[in-house]
Amino acid sequence: MTTEKQTHRHLKEIPPDRIKRNPDNPRLFFRPEEMDTLMASIRRYGIQVPISVYEDDGHFFLIDGERRWRAARKLNIQTIPAIVQAKPTPLRNLLLMFNIHALREQWDYLTIANKLPNVISLFEKENYKEPTEEELSEITGLTRGQIRRCRLLVDLPDKYKTMLQEELSLPKPLQKLSEDLFIEMERALKTVKARVPSAITRLDSARDALIKKFRVGTINNITDFRKLSKIATSIKNLGVKEAKARAVIAEILDPQKKTSIQDVFAEQFEIRYDERKIALNIESIYEYLELSVKDGEEVKLGNEIRERLLKLKRLIERVLG
Amino acid sequence: MAFDTFDPRLKTVAEKALAFFKDKYGNTGLKTDTEIAPEIGWTPSFHLKPGSFRIVAVEVADNLYPQALKIAASDILRYNGPPISVYQVCSLQVYQGDKNQTNINSLLRHGFGIVTVDDNGTVKTQHKCIPLAQHISEEELHSALSGLSNAFRIMFEDAHSTYLANEGQGLQQVGQIVEAMISSIAKRAAKRRVITPAEASGNLAAVIDALYGARGFRNHRAALGGARDFVKDFRNTASHPPKNAMQAAQKIKKCRTGFLDGVGIAKKLSDVAKAKGYKIQAHVT
Repeated sequence: MTTEKQTHRHLKEIPPDRIKRNPDNPRLFFRPEEMDTLMASIRRYGIQVPISVYEDDGHFFLIDGERRWRAARKLNIQTIPAIVQAKPTPLRNLLLMFNIHALREQWDYLTIANKLPNVISLFEKENYKEPTEEELSEITGLTRGQIRRCRLLVDLPDKYKTMLQEELSLPKPLQKLSEDLFIEMERALKTVKARVPSAITRLDSARDALIKKFRVGTINNITDFRKLSKIATSIKNLGVKEAKARAVIAEILDPQKKTSIQDVFAEQFEIRYDERKIALNIESIYEYLELSVKDGEEVKLGNEIRERLLKLKRLIERVLG
Repeated sequence: MAFDTFDPRLKTVAEKALAFFKDKYGNTGLKTDTEIAPEIGWTPSFHLKPGSFRIVAVEVADNLYPQALKIAASDILRYNGPPISVYQVCSLQVYQGDKNQTNINSLLRHGFGIVTVDDNGTVKTQHKCIPLAQHISEEELHSALSGLSNAFRIMFEDAHSTYLANEGQGLQQVGQIVEAMISSIAKRAAKRRVITPAEASGNLAAVIDALYGARGFRNHRAALGGARDFVKDFRNTASHPPKNAMQAAQKIKKCRTGFLDGVGIAKKLSDVAKAKGYKIQAHVT
């Protein structure tokens, strides 16, 4: 399918008015700052790289080059160079755009997320099976990590997709909510739901509370959501009682309370996580040394490790008395 | 379909703005996403023709003073068709978010108007504008006025206000200031018997000619010659109504040049008066 031969390609000068947007182009946002730079360049040097289009029913539809086409229209350029290709299949049409952008400039995740279900369903139609994550990665040119992040957005209720879409349409300095915020928040809520199910009665209420707290600055860093996950996993990792974790999460998810994730985490969990980390490190040192002794032979340690161990020994003696 | 390349938010802004401009100027000549003329390298979001010799063009964008308008300005100034007034429409949020009003001030300095649309769809003209070719910014005016006395500066500032509303009347006011200066110089010259009282009270062209011919003004003939040309030109320019779009465009361009030329002539006449030790008393009614 992706190796399908391309036929009837030819270069043509086409008036921008005869070209239409590709109905399947998933791209939603065109950053005005980027458009300005492109327009300045086109005004000075013209369009150096032809756009790609296909012809259908007397009209030309864009495959690649929407920004150049938009700039040409805005600058009232009479014709633009275009490579006219054969009309692709619907799946190929979508995948062409995915691949062009995966290789060159990255779309917004929401842009990809909105069209990913189409790619999956078109793939199913052609191949009689749902693509695996690996196949999806191969055909779209996206990494598996990117696909997973997109899926978090795909699964968002429409209300939040619209909220994000409206936010992304604002000029950059005015944007408060980002795709990363929703991705981090969804990951955290998934963890909370899995580990402390009773802490969330309605997911949307939890989302609303977290978004509200982010907007007013109670949560001021999107990485704080990772700490919310840590609070949820503290039951297993730190032996925290479920009731305690639930109470703390409930307070964080209460829109009326000014409780921030960072404050709760710093006060009640951070030291315990640090201690756990140190315990794991001690364990690892212990295991290494124990293995060296068990061999029964003379323990051979490099000078650097020996010196560090001696330094540690002195400090442990001081601490433990 | 109109505004089909905008995202939903900007499309709403554009539609509200379009309704506002239609309400204000009518539907005549309304076109969306269409060029004004092939020689103008800018396709406005929409434009309309409220009069035979005027175009109002609008760029809807949520980045203030976009590149498209910077490009448009230079092409519009060279354009020989109907005079074009250009507005940028943006959301109120963007307008209020302009740090130190840097972009807003740039737009105004270059003669663009600004219209905002708030979240409830309320449209408001934040800054009106006149055709770009007619625009003389406050900055340009003040720089041209430097060196003139306060009294004349105030007179020219007043003329500038008139000019921004009506280029012909503004130019006429500049002409009256220049005329008053010449009359004042001529009266002083007559008192000192450089020219006769009769020569000083003739029509303006004759007064200038009398001063030009006087021995005492031999060193100031360049200034007087300039004044004579200006007086002749501004009267033709200011008083003749345009018969077609090209004449309208030319009139506006001439009025702009005439206004700034008038200020230049006034400065030279002021220098002449200083050199002769005359105190100019000019009253413009």
